[in-house]
Amino acid sequence: MDDPIITARDVSIFYGDKQAIFDVDMDILPNKVTAFIGPSGCGKSTFLRAINRMNDLIPICRMDGELRIGGQDIYAPEVDVVALRVQVGMVFQKPNPFPKSIFENVAYGLRIHKLATSRSELEDRVEWSLKSAGLWDEVADRLDQSGNSLSGGQQQRLCIARAIAVEPKVILMDEPASALDPIATAVVEELIDNLRKKYTIIIVTHSMQQAARISQRTAFFHLGNLVEFGDTKTIFTNPADERTQNYITGRIG
Amino acid sequence: MENEHIVRRFDKNLEKIKSKTLEMGELVGAQVRDATAMWINHDADEVARIVALDLRVNGLHREVYERAEILIARRQPVASDLRRTLAPINIAGELERIGDHAKSAARRAFVFSRNRPDQKLFDTIVKMSSIVQVMLSEVLIAYDHSNIGQAAEVRMQDREIDALHQAVLKLVISALANVSGDEELVAGYVHLVLISRNLERVGDHIVNISRYVNQIVEGDDLKARE
Repeated sequence: MDDPIITARDVSIFYGDKQAIFDVDMDILPNKVTAFIGPSGCGKSTFLRAINRMNDLIPICRMDGELRIGGQDIYAPEVDVVALRVQVGMVFQKPNPFPKSIFENVAYGLRIHKLATSRSELEDRVEWSLKSAGLWDEVADRLDQSGNSLSGGQQQRLCIARAIAVEPKVILMDEPASALDPIATAVVEELIDNLRKKYTIIIVTHSMQQAARISQRTAFFHLGNLVEFGDTKTIFTNPADERTQNYITGRIG
Repeated sequence: MENEHIVRRFDKNLEKIKSKTLEMGELVGAQVRDATAMWINHDADEVARIVALDLRVNGLHREVYERAEILIARRQPVASDLRRTLAPINIAGELERIGDHAKSAARRAFVFSRNRPDQKLFDTIVKMSSIVQVMLSEVLIAYDHSNIGQAAEVRMQDREIDALHQAVLKLVISALANVSGDEELVAGYVHLVLISRNLERVGDHIVNISRYVNQIVEGDDLKARE
């Protein structure tokens, strides 16, 4: 088995006095889709956001323990958070294209991180990203139109194109399909399955069926604890912990 | 016992699949019992009744399958719910085969109505029948109560059925050595062996059901492990 790309050791996260995550140890394998599931307020999104230090934006949020990506302690003082977020991209629940053209939405990260040296290289990267996100054929003839002119599902794929344009190692997704209809959801799920060949994907989802469909590994969080983490196949057929069983089968816990 | 579902109808749906499977088990048990009563009472006319029961058994088999199918489509059961939905389909399949064996054994009741070739053989067959009837009712209780200890006991009882079947074979083989020439008597012995074989197979299907009970509770395939 591959070495983990992300390792969490004794990770605790606090919002002021309130502890949201308790001593989580977790190894996340590369080129797999890992799903985080659990009831609202269980800490799964908090833990997800710790992986690209999005919680830094919340002043009262504090983290103990150690989180490494590719061996590097991402909370070490010398780490450049902006560079970290190039490596660890993020896609949110509500598609949030910039109020710019489709082209500029994807080119944005490449420009600010100076990842393209010429106009033609920039165009090539944008085209590659849109193709990887399965959106190219739908937008190739209208790249100068606003990103907001696209449908919800297209906007979400545009955000995925924007995230992968800078070639991250890891893509974090927080409920990426919960605002989409079933067809757009299926398109995004198919895309996630293709993207994992190149990236490591972690997805927070409230849809049990979605976690079962698209992930290889599933982590169940409850009251800030990582209750169970294992192969998705096992979690959804024969979970070891009664709390997991109650949650995924919709029982009163 | 597991906690209730937040959606209560989910529990009702699962409960209904189980109760229909148990109902099917009771009918099949009645088929085995009636077949045995026919041999004891020399009554070959009741075959029609056993065959008629078969229609109800088949109807219940279909109903168990359809209810499971609808539950999967509507509720996407996972983990123990999924096992409690899929296992009854298999259990109902085993019950249906038991019913077929009861029917087949009942059709051979004429063996006993014309003449009883050997009291010892006859007693052995009746004993086999009463053991499988007990095994069947116990495996259904084990299924109803998710009792894997009781299911395991049922599997032990099957060894006795296998031993009795071997004993029947032995008795018939030695008996046949002395009756050559009497075609009717030879035919009678052959039918006895086939009845014994029917009951031995019934035992095996009950063992399979007990393994499904285990699978529902433990989530692992006992047959693959054994």
